[in-house]
Amino acid sequence: MKNIDYVGKFKVASILSLILIIGTIVLYFTKGLNYGVDFRGGVEVQVKFKNAVSLSDLRSALTEKQVAMSQLQSMGDESQNEFLLKLETDKGDLNAISTQVSSVLTEKFGAGSFEILKNDIVGPKAGAQLRTSAFKALAWAILAIMIYLALRFDYKFAPGAIAALLHDVVIIMGAFILTQKEFSLQIVAALLAIIGYSVNDTVVIYDRVREIEQANPGMGSFEIMNRALNETMSRTIITSLTVLGVSLVMLFMGGSVIHDFFFAMTIGVILGVYSTIFIAVPMTVFTERFSKKNA
Amino acid sequence: MARGWWIRFSLLAALTVVALMSVTPTFLNLNEKSSFPMKSKINLGLDLQGGLYMVLGIDFNKVYRDEVIGNGRKMVNLLKEETIEAQIGDLITTDSQDPKQSVVLAKATDADRAKEVLSKYFGNTIRLTGDANGTLTYGLSRDFIKEVEDTALSKSIEVIRNRIDEFGVTEPEIVSQGTERIVVQLPGVKDIDRAKDLIGKTAKLEFKFVNDEFAASLPEWMDKIKKAGIVFNKGERFSDYVRKVNETLAADLPKGFEIAFSKESNKNTNEITTMDPYLVESATSLTGEELQEAFVRMDQEQNRPYVALEFKANGAKIFEEITGANIGKRLAIVLDGNVYSAPMVQGRIAGGSAQITLGTGDYNTVMSEARDLALVLRAGALPVELVFEEQRVVGPSLGADAIDKAQYASIVGAFLVLAFMCFYYKFSGVIATITIVLNVLFTISCLIFLGATLSLPGIAGIALTVGMAVDGNILIYERIREELRLGISPVEAVKVGFEKAFWAIADANITTALAGICLLNFGTGPVRGFAVTLLIGITTTVYTSYFVSKILFELYVGKGAKKSLSI
Repeated sequence: MKNIDYVGKFKVASILSLILIIGTIVLYFTKGLNYGVDFRGGVEVQVKFKNAVSLSDLRSALTEKQVAMSQLQSMGDESQNEFLLKLETDKGDLNAISTQVSSVLTEKFGAGSFEILKNDIVGPKAGAQLRTSAFKALAWAILAIMIYLALRFDYKFAPGAIAALLHDVVIIMGAFILTQKEFSLQIVAALLAIIGYSVNDTVVIYDRVREIEQANPGMGSFEIMNRALNETMSRTIITSLTVLGVSLVMLFMGGSVIHDFFFAMTIGVILGVYSTIFIAVPMTVFTERFSKKNA
Repeated sequence: MARGWWIRFSLLAALTVVALMSVTPTFLNLNEKSSFPMKSKINLGLDLQGGLYMVLGIDFNKVYRDEVIGNGRKMVNLLKEETIEAQIGDLITTDSQDPKQSVVLAKATDADRAKEVLSKYFGNTIRLTGDANGTLTYGLSRDFIKEVEDTALSKSIEVIRNRIDEFGVTEPEIVSQGTERIVVQLPGVKDIDRAKDLIGKTAKLEFKFVNDEFAASLPEWMDKIKKAGIVFNKGERFSDYVRKVNETLAADLPKGFEIAFSKESNKNTNEITTMDPYLVESATSLTGEELQEAFVRMDQEQNRPYVALEFKANGAKIFEEITGANIGKRLAIVLDGNVYSAPMVQGRIAGGSAQITLGTGDYNTVMSEARDLALVLRAGALPVELVFEEQRVVGPSLGADAIDKAQYASIVGAFLVLAFMCFYYKFSGVIATITIVLNVLFTISCLIFLGATLSLPGIAGIALTVGMAVDGNILIYERIREELRLGISPVEAVKVGFEKAFWAIADANITTALAGICLLNFGTGPVRGFAVTLLIGITTTVYTSYFVSKILFELYVGKGAKKSLSI
């Protein structure tokens, strides 16, 4: 068993993390999250044609009939003849707009020449409601985990774990802003899964910390933390590699529908391990010292 | 082996058999008629099999308004019985969530007695909000508003269910979300537009007398509306337009009456071609609630379908009374706020039947309109107007493609993990593999037993559980290796390894479960699917990764004869 001083790297790690977090905040205010139809409200239609239809043909057909379109893009390879249409939200009845799309397409390309693969309509009210409930779910999850940790372990463990998972969530959102991938309900689910995973990782190590503490009263907390991290390192590496493996396979082979979910998962798994080792565990040392100083 | 072990092993064996049986119909695609004892298959989410998902918001404002008007009329009648002369005053809708109706007393000195009478009989439903110079203003009481909302919600769900049942969808799901939303899920529905039409139609049928005394003023009023810049725009809700018209004319119209329109529209473009105004009573003489039956009939002379109505006993009585008392007046048949027809009452109509004639158009269109109308009238009117807040349609082929890819990736992912486990932990890895396969089996089996829905995020959830289940095994194995390095015997190492790893596994899974529960309370369709599989997965993970592993390990190390472990 190696003896690496992980806790000592806290300074370097925290600077790196701070840069990433500040970067995310800057990006959030400059570029902004690309909210999906779930949160933004609006109409999204995914349509597949039987025969070859070019993007420009489709665009002119829709513009000609004055469909209030805000974005039109082809999905995947162009030879698949699959397109995604986003329609403007503030112009009247969303239902009427989406019906208009299919009637225009029928008129222009003939009935049966296309298939509506997906049609999402989210009213502005529903969008706002989904946004608040997503935020609430994240907040409650974090709070519940914090309370559990404080009860099961010791209050000193809670701040580190929470800091670690907030760190993960924020940086993943940064990745979504940077790539301008759509931030949808699915991604909130991914964030919650990551929170679960990140805490899972942290808890395993805390568990070991507690065990060493009980077996060696009087041992310095710095030493305890490092020993716990070193002892569990082989497990940390093997577990994160297997989960990362599953996540990568799903990312590259799972198809477009779950692609973004596992994009978030993949980053989350890597961040989860990093934040456990370099943030959650070292922070308990500082929480302890801080509270002792003030006692 | 010890007796305790056999008990645990038998339980595991029994669970495995039950689980295997429960997944058989799904994997062998057995149909209902097969002789296999278990029938239910896994419920696929809308994203996997296609269908319609809708969130409908309830617009309570109209309900409040109707209630307050209805109560106003009842109050005046009651006062008359108590020999207090009174008439209906203004309807105040400045706060659309709390409309108020005023009652004007003939003598201001009656005010105290009137208040006493009204609070005695209407105390539960109304509350006094104003009292000035013999004009009493009433709003609905808080309790009554709550009651109105609750009834409206549960009645709406019931009505939608009735309509869907007549429409014929297998396994529809219609549930409330909070106090003012309804979620409708219709898997496998093909005719989306018709389904939407049927659900969205309020089908509120009212019979109201037309006031023709002011017929001469109608054109003047309509001019005023146009001048005020109020026109009906395509895509707008017609009811919103009607509301604006009545608000603008509030000062001109005689008290207790309002404007309603009859309209005809082009069936292909849905554009309104003609629109005629009527001055009708605000309060309703008779509603669709008194309806017994509604069916399509043919007018032989004109070869046109119409909808025949039959009233319940009480409705028939009311119909007879009101037609008898209003001979020579026109009676408007108002559906969802629009006048369908307004025939003249020639005499008292006994027998309790009436008919709705439909607009012009080609035979097939009118026929299908008549059929749908009869259907919604039969299934009952929605007590409220519903607003489509969210709607997701998934075509069946997107689902098929998605499920193929996700399934394939899950299998590859799982295979890689299991191969790695066998390589890294040798024979113990094989045990881990068995537990993980059992884990997936139990998860799917639980989904089937609970009737839960497997959606695409659900498949992702299962994949994630596999990852976490592996972690459980790794925790134990690493611990056993550590103990072995300390030089204790394999039997001891296994025992201590399991003991020490237990709380790490439990704590880790409980915290993940906490995130899962929050996700479940989140309450939106597709994401809930993920939460359900995650929570089930966590439960089965703890059982298989820890308890099943332990059973198998105890079998493997035996009674202590083993000198070394393959780990």
